[in-house]
Amino acid sequence: MTLFPLQVAVENPNVAMGLAVLAGFGFGFMLERAGFGDSRKLLGQFFGNEMVMLKVMFSAVATAVVLTAALDGVGLLDLRALGTLVTTETWIWPMIAGGLLIGVGIVFSGYCPGTSFVGMASGKLDAAVTYAGVVAGQILAAELERGEAWRRFFASGARGHLFLYDLLGIPAAVVALAVAAIAVGSFLFGEWVERRLGGEGAPPSPTGPKRFVFGAFAGVALVAVATLALPSGARAVQRSAGRIGVEELARRVFEAPWTVRLLDVRGAEPCAVARIPGAECVAAAELTGLGLDAEPPVRDLVIVGAGELPEPPAGAMAFPGRVLLLSGGFAAWQGWALTPPTPPAADAPTAEREGFRLQSGVYAAMTGVKQPAAAAPSGGGAAPKRKKAGGGGGGCGG
Amino acid sequence: MANEAVAKPYWNPYVAGVGLGLVLTATYLVIGRGLGASGPALRAAAVGVASVASAHAARTPAFTRILTEPHPFLNYYVFLAVGTLLGGFVSAYVAGRVQPGVTRGPNASIRLRLWAAVFGGVLLGVGARLARGCASGQALTGGGLLSAGSWAFMISIFVGGYATFLLTRKVWR
Repeated sequence: MTLFPLQVAVENPNVAMGLAVLAGFGFGFMLERAGFGDSRKLLGQFFGNEMVMLKVMFSAVATAVVLTAALDGVGLLDLRALGTLVTTETWIWPMIAGGLLIGVGIVFSGYCPGTSFVGMASGKLDAAVTYAGVVAGQILAAELERGEAWRRFFASGARGHLFLYDLLGIPAAVVALAVAAIAVGSFLFGEWVERRLGGEGAPPSPTGPKRFVFGAFAGVALVAVATLALPSGARAVQRSAGRIGVEELARRVFEAPWTVRLLDVRGAEPCAVARIPGAECVAAAELTGLGLDAEPPVRDLVIVGAGELPEPPAGAMAFPGRVLLLSGGFAAWQGWALTPPTPPAADAPTAEREGFRLQSGVYAAMTGVKQPAAAAPSGGGAAPKRKKAGGGGGGCGG
Repeated sequence: MANEAVAKPYWNPYVAGVGLGLVLTATYLVIGRGLGASGPALRAAAVGVASVASAHAARTPAFTRILTEPHPFLNYYVFLAVGTLLGGFVSAYVAGRVQPGVTRGPNASIRLRLWAAVFGGVLLGVGARLARGCASGQALTGGGLLSAGSWAFMISIFVGGYATFLLTRKVWR
């Protein structure tokens, strides 16, 4: 079990909301200290007088990257689990399009939504007007999303949780070292541009803080890389398997089967009779011979036992990616997916109606028996809806 | 209140950036979440549309989940925004930088500046919806945890800005 993140906040929304005021305070304080309460400061990035957006943003990202990589290396946190918890999934095309729009929005408004709060707190009317525009933009986007073509684009390029260390196939600590090096390189380049464009008017860049910050990036990143030399057994023991519920698993099996690999370890006979779609029948004793350690960690490995598995079977944790145990095992799946669901009342909450649609869709797929349609508010039939389509808990879309 | 002439200088950008990164890392570690700023706008949009056209809002996919919550504003990102306003105000006040006004280039009218702000704001709103987060919620939060989509998003921000900043010369220069 890793120490971070603290379970009390993850499991209790009230604690999280209380702490959010503190986190926000630090966030607003730092943005204001950097100068982002004044839109002209941010625009210096583009007109070339001071690359302040690059320096602040990339320093912040590099700090988080090297610190989390080092904490992962010494076993205080599980970087992949934290990333899966905190970040949104990747939808590559809408994210690139959104980034381009936000880049244009920044040069026109002089703020990004976060810095507009700081501008407002400094009494700037243009910041308040910008945030009013953000609200209007959300309404516009929501209206556009009612159209089929826009919705298709919104959901395009779905890659699930995709991290650079998976994409590049190298340890996160090495990626962190590269991020630190690229950050420092881009800062030096940025300062060169400032001197070229500004001449005598270029912003001062005292060497003291720079030496300290750049040195800290390199130092922490090297610590992270050094932890790779720790005996890998120790690291593997510290990693723990997660759990996945039947409903969540059903969503993924039917919506995004390429994100999971299912191993059914109940034994050849019961597995041959009935199994979750796409599951491979593997006896628990054979897991060590599967070469899981050499698998690329792009899919999550889900282990299906007969009932609740107290711990992952031997060999499963050799898999470098995320290992999940199906809560309640195959018995729970059977109870959920192979029992005809009862339609909810027409006035049931949306979540319940959505749950029914998913369950009856899975039931129909597994048994061939169609359920009467739920009192659905929108078209979509039995197709399970993506739970985290943007407005979800992650990022600032929530 | 103090005027700009006596306002204290800003922090060294690298130091402010590391400070921001430490806040971000602490948020990951303690709360298991990230920073963000566009969430309250989505919630305000949902509640605002619902107040004038509730049936229409309920049929709008982007809003349905928020509108089923009993208290749409009792939300992590809304509390985060309250803190952001407080932190920004305290920092600006201590440094003598709280000064009502409109920040703009020396030759821009207030009218032009505010039109640019609202136009840019709309693009920020649409972009944040498409990208599932804004510069803080997606680029900082996801970038710090090496999410591939967040890095693509972060690079796209700079591309979009550099491709179009010359169009805004009248506002800033």
